[in-house]
Amino acid sequence: MRKRKYLLGAFMLLLALFIVGCSNKSNGNEGEENNGTQTVTFWHSMGGAAQEALNSIVEEYNQSQDKVTVNAEFQGTYDEALTKFHSVAGTDSAPTMMQVFEIGTKSMVNSGFIEPIQTFVDEDNYDMSGLEENIINYYKIDDTFYSMPFNSSTPVMYYNKDAFKAAGLDPEIAPTTYKEVIDVSKKITEANPKMKGFALQAYGWLYEQLLANQGALLMNNDNGRTDTPTEVGFTDEQGKSVFNWVKQMIDDETFANYGTNGDNMVAGFLAGDVAMFMQSSASARDVIDNAPFEVGVAFIPYPESIERQGVVIGGASLWMIKDKSEAEQKAAWDFMKYLQTPEIQAKWHVGTGYFAVNPAAYEKQEVKDAYEKMPQLQVTVEQLQSTKSSYATQGALMDMIPEARRISETALETVYNGGDIDKAYKDMVKQMNEAIETANKARK
Amino acid sequence: MTLSISKKIIFYVLLIIFSLLVFSPALIALLMSFMSSQDIMTGKIIPTEFSFDNYAKVFDRFPLFQYLINSFIVSIVIMIGQLLLASLAAYAFVFLEFKGRDFIFFVFIATMMVPFEASIIPNFHTIRHLNWLDHYNGLTIPFFATAFGTFLLRQNFKQIPTELKEASQIAGIGEFKYYLTVVLPMAKTSLITLGVYGFVTSWNMYLWPLLATTNDSVRTVQIGLRQLQSQEQLNEWGVIMAGAIIIVVPTLILLFLGQSKLQKGLTEGAIK
Repeated sequence: MRKRKYLLGAFMLLLALFIVGCSNKSNGNEGEENNGTQTVTFWHSMGGAAQEALNSIVEEYNQSQDKVTVNAEFQGTYDEALTKFHSVAGTDSAPTMMQVFEIGTKSMVNSGFIEPIQTFVDEDNYDMSGLEENIINYYKIDDTFYSMPFNSSTPVMYYNKDAFKAAGLDPEIAPTTYKEVIDVSKKITEANPKMKGFALQAYGWLYEQLLANQGALLMNNDNGRTDTPTEVGFTDEQGKSVFNWVKQMIDDETFANYGTNGDNMVAGFLAGDVAMFMQSSASARDVIDNAPFEVGVAFIPYPESIERQGVVIGGASLWMIKDKSEAEQKAAWDFMKYLQTPEIQAKWHVGTGYFAVNPAAYEKQEVKDAYEKMPQLQVTVEQLQSTKSSYATQGALMDMIPEARRISETALETVYNGGDIDKAYKDMVKQMNEAIETANKARK
Repeated sequence: MTLSISKKIIFYVLLIIFSLLVFSPALIALLMSFMSSQDIMTGKIIPTEFSFDNYAKVFDRFPLFQYLINSFIVSIVIMIGQLLLASLAAYAFVFLEFKGRDFIFFVFIATMMVPFEASIIPNFHTIRHLNWLDHYNGLTIPFFATAFGTFLLRQNFKQIPTELKEASQIAGIGEFKYYLTVVLPMAKTSLITLGVYGFVTSWNMYLWPLLATTNDSVRTVQIGLRQLQSQEQLNEWGVIMAGAIIIVVPTLILLFLGQSKLQKGLTEGAIK
């Protein structure tokens, strides 16, 4: 009979939990309006330190006025959040505004569930030209702003100044071209056989950036800016240059292969296993803070035969969701504008390492103080600002870019593991073209 | 069987080595949770100094306590629901005679071949239409029916001699009473196994709780753990590991408890 009591207990517990659960329901889904304040739901993908910075900004905003309350809600990685959005889009569960990574831009535009922020820019006569030119260039499509730029970063090259000194090199002069990187790597490995010269993570984003820096288009039709791309836009010479460059260093035994793992690469750099590597500028603060040696930050390299073009912006932007009440959208727009003010951008830039979308932020004392402590941070901004505006550096617009990245990552890894360059390159281009074709067919 | 001393020594040395090998990731995680990020990044294994900063940061960073409570509620409700439904279903498949029983059972088993990820979108839409997003119902009810649990219990129930059933029928014991007083006590071991298994799998769920919740009110710890990681910046592995250690503790406790219960259940059956 004791068993029966147990079971009865379990039943009761279950029942009790359901009742608790059900009573939650009534106050869980609060109405849009709550004693006069407008609630804005903001979905984001900022984890770790960036989430801390974002939460403090949101809290500050909520306290600065009493009309709007922003609820910042974490929804997993960019990919997960986008998938989730697509499954709730058009229903009540959709948020008011949402953060989407740059390569999701095209898929958001195509989704039909978003309200271009251009609507609010026009209504409000908001001056977008006050924002960083090279950032807004990416998000301006056919002269329309679909989303508000937010967290932005570009890749930079980090190098170990102490290792440069040990190899008899000037630590203030970083290599700028592929050839210089090859030569410097050789010298570093000669001086310290335990240390490799250079590491390139097998990461599609970095490959895109190395292409853009040569002025190469990733997709044809002007990187998808004038029309939907039908095939890849780079020439064989441009596309292969990165492979050849890496291959040369592998043959010299100066290349450190970390595969697709960025964290391992940074750990290797900090442990003194490799002297140079490329990574997002958003990591600059952490890398410099954690390194037991002096870290240099430099522009990403380019082939010696051509001129440096610059980098494409990476990161994410904020989207306004359609079919929400006007008051709710207005409230979200007010919050977006708040995020672009120099004060907030200065705080964001210093707190996270992402760029300030509003360049006026660089004049703030907060930023100047930070640069005094870490002059390297300034290099990341210089690289962005010296970028030449063109279709190549505007970045490609296509919905299959996440897949293209995976394809180029496989190709890079093949080369790292001693595969044939020509074959790896040909396969990559073939697969990318197929992916473009499939994506175009799917849309029709 | 007694082993000679030398054999014993070899045996134990090997056992210790292998257990250390198997346990090493958890050990490294534990060590990392006490390290500063500089120690971690430069590849140290033994911390230069032990600090509890990471643990303080975890609690500071997000409502960990709330998440833990949510995880507990969700896991326990799923566990109870699975035990209840699986044992009732298994009872029907074993003790009740009806037409097409075996066929239905095989169809039931066939659903094991469909991974949960494949049915996630239809499930999600059902939950959304029922208005169960951000609600314990949405997190638990889709997991109540388990083909695996039914299968496990059916095999176990089948070992109960049919004479018992006949005897109890003669004694005038009805189906439900037979289920409660005879079948369940005899299948205690399997029930505990299934319970522990159900608890641990639901404790470790990630994708579904992420989809079915949009804010912190009913979110589970695994999503909290994900929030500690960042995508474009360096990860603070120390904080992440501290979070992982805290989250792992309840499952470990349950496994230890479950293990001793398991053994007790086994011996009990043997003595009877």
